[in-house]
Amino acid sequence: MYGWIWRHLPGPFAVRVLTAVLLIAGVVALLMFVVFPWIEPKLPFNEVTTE
Amino acid sequence: MSTVAPTAPEGGGARSVVRGVGEVFITLGLVILLFVVYEVYVTDIFSAAKQREATSALDDRWGTPADPERVERFDGLDEGAGFAKMFIPTFGADYSFTILEGITEKTLEIGPGHYPDTAYPGEPGNFAVAGHRVGKGAPFNDIDLLNSCDAIVVETRYNWFVYRVLPKADEVADWAGTRAADPRCVGVSPLGAPYDKVVGQRIVSPGQGEVVAPVPGLPGAENSVGEQVTLMTLTTCHPRFSDRERLIVHAVMVKQWEKDPNNPGALPPELKETV
Repeated sequence: MYGWIWRHLPGPFAVRVLTAVLLIAGVVALLMFVVFPWIEPKLPFNEVTTE
Repeated sequence: MSTVAPTAPEGGGARSVVRGVGEVFITLGLVILLFVVYEVYVTDIFSAAKQREATSALDDRWGTPADPERVERFDGLDEGAGFAKMFIPTFGADYSFTILEGITEKTLEIGPGHYPDTAYPGEPGNFAVAGHRVGKGAPFNDIDLLNSCDAIVVETRYNWFVYRVLPKADEVADWAGTRAADPRCVGVSPLGAPYDKVVGQRIVSPGQGEVVAPVPGLPGAENSVGEQVTLMTLTTCHPRFSDRERLIVHAVMVKQWEKDPNNPGALPPELKETV
């Protein structure tokens, strides 16, 4: 998977590294700002109230 | 890292499938680690910003011209609206949170939330507040460390209310001979029946909603109890990182300081109990 992505990144080595870093940052941002806030309330380990 | 990229993965198809599956597992592991970082640290950053906003909204509201009779008004609070601030001096002079109305997930991300239908600060009954213990500002991270008689100071628009943690279960029997002499324990003593199960710290199951009842543990009893004790109850998850149980801290009001309109900066002496 990672090998495949690396081979398909265009440009010389430095550009590839930069693109890879940007890709990782994008995925992390997507997880932090969209996926985790969405999934978190569905996970039952931070309930603090009694019913 | 060679600049001459191989055109195909070494080895046969099976090897690249195995490698692909392995990479997926490693990726999932990293995502879960990242989620832990998010839960424990990143939500703190998001919540701190929301808490700052709520606090400045509350300060704005308190800055509007005062009611000449200086009567506290808590009716008609919207979900998520701040109405009081809480301080726990033993957690440090900077421990301060704006308490909001309601206990929805969204409200608790901003700060400690007040159980609707429970008493408000200073009112007889049970002023019950829920707060996160992990992430989201973790206002109640350390409430398991509260000792009996530690002050929980609640500031409202016109008053300061000083609550103190009730004797713990193992201190009740010999209270008069031990802790009662502590100057901080003035006004704190084991409560008699029907409050005899109300101690400084308890661990209950999530279904035990009666801990926030006006007479904790005895929902409905408030109708037969003449004058109710003015209590404050904190609830959070227990053990930390789990929601298997709930940690409950009960405190009793020992003092009320009315704010002096001529000296609005005056602070109650209990706020200095930072040791």
